[in-house]
Amino acid sequence: MSGSIEEFHSKKAGDGYYERLEAELKKLNAELHAFNNITLLNTGGYPFSAKDNLCVEGVETTASSRILKGYVPPFNATAVERLLKRKFTFIGKTNMDEFGFGTFGLNSDEPARNPFNREYVTGGSSSGAAVATSVMKYHVALAVSTGGSISAPSSFCGVVGFTPTYGLVSRYGLLDYGNSLDKIGIISRSASDTANVFDLIRGPDDKDSTSVSEAPKKEKAKKNLFVIKELLKGETQSYFERFCDKLRGLGYAIGEVSVPDIEKAVQAYYIISMAEASTNLAKYTGFKYGYKNSGFEKGYNEFFTEARSNFGVEAKRRIVLGTFVRSSSVRSKYYDKAMKVRALLTSRLSKTLEKGNIIIPAMPILTPKIEEARQMDSVSVYKMDISTIPPNLCGLPHVCFPYDYAGGMPIGAQIIGSHFSDNGVLEFVQEWEKTFKYKFKYDVGAL
Amino acid sequence: MKVGLEIHVSLPTRTKLFCSCKARGDEDGPNSNVCPICMGFPGSKPALNGKALEYAVMIAAALDCKLSKLTSFVRKVYFYPDLPKSYQITQLSDAVGKSGKLELSTGKAIGITRIQLEEDPAKIIRGDEYTLLDFNRSGRPLVEIVTDPDIRSEDELRDFVAELRGILYHIGVDINEELKADLNVSVDGGERVEVKNVTGIKALSDALKYELGRQNALAGKGQEIKRETRSFDEASMKTISSREKESDEEYGYIYETDLTDYDISRLHVPKPVIPGRIAKEYAKRYKASEKAIREQIMLSREALALMDKAKGRHEMNEIIKGIELLKRYGRLQMGYASFEKLLEAVSTGMLIDEKTIGKIEKGESVGSFKRISDAEIDDSIRKMIMDNEKLLKEYGKNNKVFNFIVGKISKEYGVDPRHVSDRLKAVLDEIAK
Repeated sequence: MSGSIEEFHSKKAGDGYYERLEAELKKLNAELHAFNNITLLNTGGYPFSAKDNLCVEGVETTASSRILKGYVPPFNATAVERLLKRKFTFIGKTNMDEFGFGTFGLNSDEPARNPFNREYVTGGSSSGAAVATSVMKYHVALAVSTGGSISAPSSFCGVVGFTPTYGLVSRYGLLDYGNSLDKIGIISRSASDTANVFDLIRGPDDKDSTSVSEAPKKEKAKKNLFVIKELLKGETQSYFERFCDKLRGLGYAIGEVSVPDIEKAVQAYYIISMAEASTNLAKYTGFKYGYKNSGFEKGYNEFFTEARSNFGVEAKRRIVLGTFVRSSSVRSKYYDKAMKVRALLTSRLSKTLEKGNIIIPAMPILTPKIEEARQMDSVSVYKMDISTIPPNLCGLPHVCFPYDYAGGMPIGAQIIGSHFSDNGVLEFVQEWEKTFKYKFKYDVGAL
Repeated sequence: MKVGLEIHVSLPTRTKLFCSCKARGDEDGPNSNVCPICMGFPGSKPALNGKALEYAVMIAAALDCKLSKLTSFVRKVYFYPDLPKSYQITQLSDAVGKSGKLELSTGKAIGITRIQLEEDPAKIIRGDEYTLLDFNRSGRPLVEIVTDPDIRSEDELRDFVAELRGILYHIGVDINEELKADLNVSVDGGERVEVKNVTGIKALSDALKYELGRQNALAGKGQEIKRETRSFDEASMKTISSREKESDEEYGYIYETDLTDYDISRLHVPKPVIPGRIAKEYAKRYKASEKAIREQIMLSREALALMDKAKGRHEMNEIIKGIELLKRYGRLQMGYASFEKLLEAVSTGMLIDEKTIGKIEKGESVGSFKRISDAEIDDSIRKMIMDNEKLLKEYGKNNKVFNFIVGKISKEYGVDPRHVSDRLKAVLDEIAK
C-alpha cells in the first residue's frame, strides 16, 4: 500500500492515539455535525467511518431518519465487515440526508456544516462522510451514491469521492434507497488511498445477488478525454474550461461530444429511484425496530400511519411520488419509459467511453450558502444533479476530485469511465494529484 | 359457470426461499427459525434458494408450461402485519412458467395461466384480545399455480385437484395437508367472486358447492351478483363476504432489483412424470382399466416403478393385482426380482396373503404353482352344492351360505377367494337356467 495508509502505519500511532482522536472528533463534531455517532469499535488500525445507512453490528444505524431512532443492527454490512477483518478501526457513523434523499445535506435534523465555511452547504447525501474526510488527516469514509450522493459532497468539501461500477461492491447491509442504483463507494483525501480500500471491499458476495464476480480492468489513465457539451453551463463553466486547458498542458487530448437527451436522465433517475424508494421505505412501520408507537392496541393501519408520520418531508414526497409512478394506470407512462431512457443513455454514453473517458463538472453551481439552498424548490434542487446523475443512472465508475478553489471554496470535476474501468479513472486522479495540491482546513489526528 | 383457481403449494426445501433459515421445523417453537432476511430487517437482502427454483421449474414443466428463459421477481406492495417488508417478493410477467395445461381424467384440458415462485408471509394467530405473529413461516417457498377459468363443475374441480396432486406427488410435493387456494367463481351473468384462503382439498370442494348454490339462487331470483371477496368458514360450510371491490387491487408492482434474472435453461431437472397420462397410455397399450392403473400409481412412486419394469413382460391386470397386494400389506418397497415371483404366483390364481408375500421376500418356496383349472373348481362347487341340499335351500335367505362355499373352496385349493366367488356365480347362473 502507498499513500496515507502506509504513512499512518509507518508512523506507529502510539497508545492513547485513538482516545485523543475520539475526544478531538467529538469536540469538532459539536460544531460540524459530521457524525451521527462517534463510536470506536476497535483500535490499532487505520480509521474509517461508515455512512449512517450502512449497518454496523451493535452501533445505532438510522440513515438520519427519526423512524429508525434506536435501531441497532445485528449484523455488519459486507463492506464494513471486510474492513474490520483487515484491522481497520471503525470510528463512527456519518451524517447524511435522510435515507440518501438530498443534494445539499440539508435533509437531516442537524445538517453537517462545510468545514471551509460553515455558512455553506456540504453537499449530500453523503454529507458527513465528506466533512469527516475533509477534517481528518488519516481516515477513509465508506459512503453511498444513488444519483450523486458521493460526488456532490466531495465537490463541495474538496475531497476525492469514488463511485464504483454498479455491482463491484456488495450492497449487503445497506439501507436501500434505489436498489438498482445504490453503490457503496469511498471518500478519501487521495485516489491512491481509495484504490487501496477499494481492493479490500470489492468482490462478489453471496449475500448480494447483484454483486458481480468480474474484477475491474487493470488500466492506466486514458489520454483521450471528452466533455459533454450539454453539461457545460452554469457558474462553474469558466473554472472548468480553465481546468481543461491545464489538462491539455499535461498532455491530454480533450474532445467535445453531444449526448442528445442527457437532460432526461434527471427525470428518468427520479422516477426510477422514487419508485424503488417507495417500496424500500414500506418496511418502516414502527413494528419491529426503530420508532416505537405508544401501544399495540390500535388497528394496524392507524398503527403504521402514526409511525410513518416520523418520515421527513423529502422522504414523504418521494414515497408519494414513487407510489404514484408505480400504480398500474400510469406505470407505462412513467416507470417503463424511464427504464427505456436509462437503457438508451447507457448505450449512448458507452459509445463515447469506447474512445476515452468523460470529464465533466461535478456540479453546475459553486457551493451555495445553506440559506440559499433552503430557498430552492425541490425541482430546482433535483436539477442540480444533472452532471452526477448520468454516470449513476448508467452504473458507470466515476471519481469526483477538487481541481480549483473559488473564494476559498473547492470546486470538483468528475472523471467517468466505462463499466469496470474503475482503476483507469482512479489512475487519472492519481496523475492529477501529482500536479495539484488539495487544501484542507483541519488535520485532526495528524501524527 | 366459470371457475378458476390460484393454488399455493408449499415446497419441501430444507431452507427458506431467500435465506438459510430452516423452512420446516414447527416443533422448534414460534419465531425460532428467523434471521434478518426473513424478518425484513433494514439492510438485509434476499439470495434465491436454487432448489426452490428447481421445484418451480419441475412443476411448470409437468403442467406443460412455456418456461421463461430468464425468470425474474417483482415486489408486490401492501401493508399487512404478516408481511415483514410490506412487500412480498413474487413473480409476474417473467414468472417461471406460463400458458400450460393440465389434462383431467376425462381428457378435458384446464389451462394453466402461470406458475410463479414466491415467499410465504408470517403466520397470524388471532385470539380474542390479541394477535400473534410467527415468522417461522415468513419466507418459506411457495409455488402459486394460477389456472384459467376453465373449470365447469364440482366434479371437474375434484378431478383437477386429484390430477394435480398426483403430478405434484411425483415431483416430491405433497399438497394433501397444505393445499391453500383462492377460488374464483362466476355464474352466467354474474360478476366474479373470489373466495380467499381455502385450506384443504375437501374445503375447496365444499366452498365451491356453497358458492355455486348461493350464486345460482341469486341469479334465479334475478338478483345481482356483486363483485366481491369472500372467505370460507369451515365450521358453517358457508362463504362470508369480506369486502366488495370495484376494481383490481393496486399492488404497485415493481422489479425486485435486489435479485437478478435467473437462466432457467441452465437448470437440469428430471423429465416430468404425469401419472394421469401414464395411466391412459398403459390402459390403451396393455388393455387394462385406466381407473385401476390410476388408482395404483397416482400417489405411489414405488408402484409406478414396479409397473414400469413389469409392463410388457406380465399381464397388466396381474401387475395391478400384484401392486394392490403389496399396498394392502404395506410391502411396496419390494425389490423387482421378488415382485416377479409375486406376479408368477398371481398368475396361478393362488391365494396370496401376508405370509405368502413374506415367503416371497425371503426367497422361500410358496408351494405348488400348479394352476388349478376353472373346470376343476366348478366341479367341486357343483359337488358341494349337490352334497348339501340343505345349503341350497338356505341360499337366497342368507348370503352367508355363499361366503361359506367361497371360503371352503378357496381354502381347499389355495385359490384367491375373489376368483372362487366369480366361479360360484357362474355355476349358480348355470344351475338357475
